[in-house]
Parts: sequence; C-alpha cells; structure tokens
Amino acid sequence: MCNRSLEAEVDSEKVRHWIDEIGSEPQAAVPLLQAIQGEYGYLPRKAMDLVVANTRINASQLYGVATFYAQFRLKPVGRHLIKVCHGTACHVQGADRLNTSLRHILDITDPKEDTASNGSYTIENVACIGCCSLAPVMVIGETTYPTLKGADAQRALRQHARERNEILPGNFQEVDQ
Amino acid sequence: MSAALPRIITVGEGTCGIAAGAKEVQELLRHRFPEAEYRTVGCLGMCHREVMVEITGDDGKQFLYGNVNKKNLPKIVRFHRGEGPLPEGNFIRSTDQPETESAGFLQGQTRIALRNVGTIDPTSLEAFLSRGGYAAIGKILGQGLSPEAVIEEVRTSQIRGRGGAGFPTATKWTFARNAPGEEKYLVCNGDEGDPGAFMDRSLLEGDPHSVLEGMLIAAYAIGATHGYAYIRAEYPLALNYFGKALADARTAGYLGRNILGSTFCFDVKIKEGAGAFVCGEETAMLASIEGHRGMPRIRPPFPAIKGLFGHPTIINNVETLASLPWILVNGGSRYAAYGTPGSKGTKVFALAGAVARGGLVEVPMGTTIRHVLEQIGGGSATGRPFKAVQMGGPSGGCIPESMFDTLIDYEAINATGAIMGSGGMIVTDSKSCMVDLARYFLEFTQIESCGKCTFCRIGTLRMKEILARICEGKGTMEDLTTLENLGPSIREASLCGLGQTAPNPVLTTLKYFRDEYVAHIQEKRCPGGICKALITHTIRNDKCTGCSICKRQCPVSCISGELKKPETWVIDHHLCINCGMCAEVCKPDAILVQ
Repeated sequence: MCNRSLEAEVDSEKVRHWIDEIGSEPQAAVPLLQAIQGEYGYLPRKAMDLVVANTRINASQLYGVATFYAQFRLKPVGRHLIKVCHGTACHVQGADRLNTSLRHILDITDPKEDTASNGSYTIENVACIGCCSLAPVMVIGETTYPTLKGADAQRALRQHARERNEILPGNFQEVDQ
Repeated sequence: MSAALPRIITVGEGTCGIAAGAKEVQELLRHRFPEAEYRTVGCLGMCHREVMVEITGDDGKQFLYGNVNKKNLPKIVRFHRGEGPLPEGNFIRSTDQPETESAGFLQGQTRIALRNVGTIDPTSLEAFLSRGGYAAIGKILGQGLSPEAVIEEVRTSQIRGRGGAGFPTATKWTFARNAPGEEKYLVCNGDEGDPGAFMDRSLLEGDPHSVLEGMLIAAYAIGATHGYAYIRAEYPLALNYFGKALADARTAGYLGRNILGSTFCFDVKIKEGAGAFVCGEETAMLASIEGHRGMPRIRPPFPAIKGLFGHPTIINNVETLASLPWILVNGGSRYAAYGTPGSKGTKVFALAGAVARGGLVEVPMGTTIRHVLEQIGGGSATGRPFKAVQMGGPSGGCIPESMFDTLIDYEAINATGAIMGSGGMIVTDSKSCMVDLARYFLEFTQIESCGKCTFCRIGTLRMKEILARICEGKGTMEDLTTLENLGPSIREASLCGLGQTAPNPVLTTLKYFRDEYVAHIQEKRCPGGICKALITHTIRNDKCTGCSICKRQCPVSCISGELKKPETWVIDHHLCINCGMCAEVCKPDAILVQ
C-alpha cells in the first residue's frame, strides 16, 4: 500500500478540544468527523477511537456515519486534493476526460487507486460543486478551474505543482494549444 | 461612446465568478484604479459571461462588462481613462446603450427570489437593509400580525415548495402550527444535491439575509423557536456568508431573543451537510441533523407533527424562503398574479449544457421551456440543434425538443414524465447520448440510495447494469422490457422520493428516445458518438497537419506518425481506449469519431 506513509500523526489534545467545543452527544457525530477530516484530510483510526472513548457516540454509530456520507474518507489522501466535478453539466461536457488526463499525468494506472505514488495528489470525483455554467470544472485545494478540456486540466495541475514544488510522477509531455 | 474614471467598481464574486478568476480581476483593477470604491456582489446570473465587472464612472454612467480577464482588462482600463475605444468584446451594456445581448437574457425574467442576488454585497447587512431587507419581519412584528394572518397571506400567494415536490407551503405550515408542542423547529433545506442545480448556492451566497428573513417569517408562522440551516459542505462560500449573516443579524437584533423588541424568540444553527443526496429528503435530513445516517423513515407521522428530536418541524427550501419576504411586503395576491392556475409566482432555473447563455434565470410560471432556452438562453451554444432538456436532475427526466412548448407548470412538466425539481435545466444537443445520460443518472441514484428499501437498493443497481450493458453494445431488446417493468416496481416499493423517482430518467429517455436504445442494441452504434465501446477514433489524413499534438496528449500512446507528414498519422485501434483526448486537442478537427 503506497498510502501507508501518508498516515497522519494524531494529536489527542486537538481531538479532545473539538469534543469540548462541538459536543459529545450523538448529534455531534457529523461535525466531529468534519473537524477531524478538515485537519487530517481523512479520518485516522486513532482519532476515531478517541471520539468513541470520550463521547456518547459508540463505534458502530460513528463508523456507520463515516461510511455513509460521501464526504468522509477512511484512507489517507495526498498532500493536495483534486476534486473533479461529475455533475450533469460536467458529465455531458466531458468530465471523464479530466479524469483520464489527470490520471495520466499522475501516473495512476490502478483503477482502484486515486492517489499518486509519491503522495502528491489525490483525485476525487464529486457529485456537483454548483458551477454548472462553467462545466467541466475541477477544484485543486481551494482553487476552482472552469471550462476545462483534458489538456487544460493537465496544464492547471502542472502549474499548481510548480508553484508548490511538487513533483508529478507521470511521464508526460507538454501540450501546447 | 465615452467613459469617465471609475467611481464604483462592482465585481461578481459568487463561486462561479471566483472560479472564472474574479479575485484576480478585482486585484488588478484595484491596482489600476486605487481611488475607486470596490463592491463585491454574488452571481449576476449571466454565468456564461463570468468574470463580470460593473463600472460606475464619476459621471454616474454605468458600464457592464463580461468575460473579463487579465489579458483583456487593459482595454477596459484604457477606455475608462479616455485613452482607447469601447472594448467591444467585453461590453455588455451601459446606461447609454441598454439594447445588447443582456436585453435578451433579462427579457421575460421576473426576479422575486433573486431580487437582490448580484445587486447587493451579501456580506453587508446595511446593503440588505437599504434594499428593504427585514421590512417583512418588521411589518409582522411591528403591526402585531398574528401567525395565522401570516399563513393566510402565504396561502393567498399560493406558493408551492420550490425544493421540487411543490407541496403548498401554507398547508404544510398549518399542520405544524396546529401540532401540539411548545418546542417547534424550522429547517432550511440548503442541501441542493441535484447535480446540475445551483440556485440555492447562488441565493445563499448572493443574498443570505433574505433566506434568513424567510426563516424568521416561517418560524413565526408555525411557532418555532429553533432553526437549522442544513447547507452542503461543498458550498464553502455559502456557509461562510450565511454564517456572517447570522452573526450580523443577531447583533442587530433580528435574531435571538425578543426579536425587534417583541416576544418572538428564534435562533438558527448551521448544520453542514456531508454529501448524501438522500438527505434532501425531509426525514433523512432530520436523521442527519440528529447525527445519524441520513436514512428516511416511514411517514406518517409527518415531520410537521413529529420531526426533529420528536418535535413538530417544517423544512422549507432556500428558494421558497427567499421568496417569503417579498410576498409579505407586496402581498400574496401580487405573487399569485404571476403564473398558471395551478402554479403561481416565479421559478428560478439553473441553465447549463449546450445552451449559449448559461446561468441563473427566474421566470414567471407559465413561461414555455422554449422561451427559456431560446430567448433567454440564446439558443444552442454549439450550432447543433437541441436534442432535449433534462429537468429535475436524477429525479426528473428528459423532455425532447419537440415538446419545448410545454409550459413551466408543475402539472404540465409532470405530464411529460419529468418533474420541475429544484430547477436544473441541462440542455443537450445532437452530440449527446440519451442512453449514456440515463446510465449516468442511474449510477448516481444507485450510489446515493441509502439502501433501506430493497427495490431502491437492488432495483436501481439492476437498472444501472442493464444500461451499462446497452452502452457497451451488449444489450438485448428484452432489456428494454425489463427496464420498463422494473421502473414502476421501484417507484411503488420505495419509501422516499429518491427511489420513487429514480426510474424517471430511464423511463423518459425510453419513451422519447427509444430509437437511440435500439441503435445501441441492434446496430451496435451510438448515434451521439459518446459510448466508448461503440465508437472509433480515426485520423483524417486530408485534414491532419502532422503537428503531433494528439500523440503528445494520448494517455495510452496509441497514435503514431512523422512530424509534418499528415499521411503517416494513424491510431492503433487495438490500444485506443476512445477517451477522446485527441479529438479535444486537434485544432484542424482531423479526428473522426464514428
């Protein structure tokens, strides 16, 4: 598993602080998970155990919620998350090609894998980010990129990587348009 | 035409504007015109022209520009410094010259829910107040209007829930008003899970106080003391602005204890959604707020009687809530003057897909689909003819071009097999595959099914498998019968709206585009050129220039040829995965897709 190295170091104090702030009743389950994922990018096992030990939420409810909602991940993510929108407008205008193109540049060949082998980027498909008039769209970190073709997606990713000194593992060539 | 130096510069910074580069544009403008006053507004509706900038000169004249970016910005700057001509490519309209394309876009629109979106700074309470904000709740509390009188006004307006199902709002409120219990809840449904709809996002981002004022009116009418705003986590800007609106309203006395000095107390908490389409369903949303998996439960009891934490609860959609202050200020009968006998008022639509002017439009009920797509939307974006419009998202269906004269009316749309839904309108042209579109929606509903009902869980999975098979050219004519039989069974045996509507995209495409299904099955052909298993990519050597861009873009290295020798270029069909990357980058359009 290439993602093993991405396992996060969980700060117990931080988790306890969130519990104090958000609550320990069952209705705190979703916001607690959102706080944990906001910090680590996924839900580390240790943080989940801390929640179970320090709240009135039991493990089956917590894991039940964590696996039910699309937002939550139990697997570590790369240093940057790429969200590719697969809303209807994006789908009919070729969102699939963004995936093909990004997987190519990140050299992710295993269809079950979504993170580049060097842990730089993770590709995630999302349902709709509500920018339908600018379809197809992807989001890297906090930045949204509109009206993309496959080659534009590569260009945006290359620029993002350059600005952050990330190395892209894929064997690709520059495409000028 | 001349322009004066800018006094006020307004930049549209909804999520769509920011995505198109509004922040950068504003930054550049600040650099060029540091003395101007800058205002940020939400989505102006004309998403197809993002980034949008409105410049008001020292002489009071206004100029609206679209598609502004760092490359063409200098032209606009030069024009406003009196050093250059009007930047024709960006110019949309001005005080002197209103008759441009925007007239077409705005003609036929009646902005009630969207009255402030794109006009006011969503983060400024003062801006909202200057547009008559909180006047409705002020009137109710100031004049001591009874909750019953408020409900009556809303009944007069005949507004139906804008979330999709179209249940009469006043009737729903009456149930909760009359339900026993001291503690009642009002929930704002801002989950907007329909892929292809973004009006709730635009409202929450562009005019959060109107949504909040709507919540106050609804809470007062039903007697609620607590409220929740359930907003998608995928909408960070909406969450941010709505949070600010809550804080500002609380400080100014519009929210919290003894609102505006009255005995009315109401406060709102934000609940971030976590990405489950089914949570748009009322009982599933309540389960989600309570911290559980968002699974629907059997009704009755209806949430209006027994909802959140066992208390009477009303859930209203963002668009419904945003329309309420207007209704209370202008009167229910004025709202009811718009529309058809069964569907009153206006409806906001999110136009996207193969339409020239995509964006956010609000039209009176009773307008035809054709008017929205052709007059407001400006017709086809691609030059190819329209094929269909998909309405209602995964719960809706596809309406063929031949039926575009259908009126926008709950019952009329239902009669086509689609639904009004939350208002997504995705337009497709001849280069689209209706079988693929049906497969796409079924894949969505199948993933989003909470799994509680067997027919929804397994039925949608089987439908998806059959559709995938047809898209691969492995379908049979019996598959069509199976789909037609499965549809009604899934509808009848599902607990909530997700399962009850999941077959709609399949059944409507089967009804109106059966020939496309047959072409996939019998001729092993995808008429839209979309289904990968049924198409091939070939290089037309007569058009090819031998530039090699396709080779460099191909993810499976299946293209070969010599530079500048068009006759040598070929695609190895054994390796080709028909991803379409080559066709996308080929400038001379030399890739033939068949």
